[in-house]
Amino acid sequence: MDKYLELKGVHFNYFTRKSEFNAINNLSFCVDRGEFISIVGPSGCGKTTILSLIAGLYEPTSGEILLEGKKINNIDIGYMFQKDQLFEWRTIYKNITLGLELKDRSCINKERDRIDCLLKKYGIFDFKNKYPRELSGGMRQRVALIRTLAVKPKILLLDEPFSALDYQTRLDLCDDVKRIITEQEQTAILVTHDISEAVSLSDRVIVLTKRPAEIKQDIKLDFTTDLTPFERRKDVNFSNYFNYIWRTLNEER
Amino acid sequence: MKKGNNITGKYQHFLKAQKIDYLTTKAYQILLLMVFVVIWEVLTKVGIVDPFFFSSPSRICITFVDLVKNGNLLQHMLITLYETFLGFIIATVLGTLIAILLWWSKKTRDVLDPYIVVLNSLPKIALGPLIIIWVGAGMSSIITMCVLISIVITTLSMLSSFLSCDEDKILLMKSFGAKKYQILTKLIIPYSIPDFMSVLKINVGMSWVGIVMGEYLVSKAGLGYLIVYGSQIFKLDIVLTSTVVLCVLACIMYGIVSLIERKFKR
Repeated sequence: MDKYLELKGVHFNYFTRKSEFNAINNLSFCVDRGEFISIVGPSGCGKTTILSLIAGLYEPTSGEILLEGKKINNIDIGYMFQKDQLFEWRTIYKNITLGLELKDRSCINKERDRIDCLLKKYGIFDFKNKYPRELSGGMRQRVALIRTLAVKPKILLLDEPFSALDYQTRLDLCDDVKRIITEQEQTAILVTHDISEAVSLSDRVIVLTKRPAEIKQDIKLDFTTDLTPFERRKDVNFSNYFNYIWRTLNEER
Repeated sequence: MKKGNNITGKYQHFLKAQKIDYLTTKAYQILLLMVFVVIWEVLTKVGIVDPFFFSSPSRICITFVDLVKNGNLLQHMLITLYETFLGFIIATVLGTLIAILLWWSKKTRDVLDPYIVVLNSLPKIALGPLIIIWVGAGMSSIITMCVLISIVITTLSMLSSFLSCDEDKILLMKSFGAKKYQILTKLIIPYSIPDFMSVLKINVGMSWVGIVMGEYLVSKAGLGYLIVYGSQIFKLDIVLTSTVVLCVLACIMYGIVSLIERKFKR
């Protein structure tokens, strides 16, 4: 059976001048192609560290992380942050083509049609010559997502991308992000402390323990297909999953 | 003009109030200067203040015309301007280049840190006599003085600006596979342009300080020279006239930098 992304017995120790401490302990899980998984856990349990490991920014102390059977490379991944991190001095279009520009200037022209297509499809085309400060927070995060997708990453890492937004915008954006990711057949890993966000968006939720982070539960979510995140929130299963994850998070190990 | 196309009377009223507010501020500013000049003139005319020590606006005007005619004031101005401009450019360019180097290599940054701190707190004027001996009594000493005064602060400000860039932005660049020089040219430098503009503004002031100080120490021409010369022959008219000219020139240079800054502000 071929696994898309695979973490095999990953340990990670942080070193500080005073001590060494175990941040992640024996973490193993797989993500299938096109799957959307969420990682939830108590704050400070090392969720972001897991993303950094997958992104190849840190080497695991032991264990390995494989993408399609090969060691992961940092250009295979796309990152979406809490803040949109758009470059204020670039137009929206220039922001979106940043990744292509860094790889190879010539491919901007080659990919122009595809980029324009993305822009039109997701309602950004009209703003493409504006600057980030002229856009609302939710729109800016959409641009940030398209910027990441423009380079066709093999895996998309979402580090609490909704937490800086107000509630209304967050719900709207959740629906859009989910739709875009599904349509683009992206594999995505979302890190969040918001259980309802995890349940409404993902196919699977991984619940972590307190530090050192280990997997407490790996829960497959079984919703009627084609429900948007917003519709999921109204589904009967939603509160069941929510309560279940809530209890799992809070029970002593 | 405005997005909402039905402009209400209240809005027009608001705009008017804004304009009046701006104009009165400007008027008071000009008034303040005029009152100062008039009081100065009157006090010296009446004899409460001795114009021998304090000069007076009218005497400054006469001295100015006289210096232009007989004392090569324009030449002194040009020399000082030239030195200031050169010092300003060298300090800004060199200081920024050093900042880039320090940003590039963390090790160099850590190693040089205490030395930069010492250099920053050292009153550069203390090096004056040494500079004259090493560089030679002349224009190069003056420019060296000017560069020394502004370069350390340029380096420190630019470096702290470079380092204040959000780590996540760097992470983003890395996730796109950016090389270090790409992070520098596509992220760090454009990100720091606003701070660079404020450094330019600070440096305008700093270079004038450096140049005048340099001219006090060693010079045969320039406004600083004129001030020292004036005080030595006890002609305070010359001292004050040169000071006023200095003020005006510094303001003009500051104005030019502000204009450039506005170009970059989007």
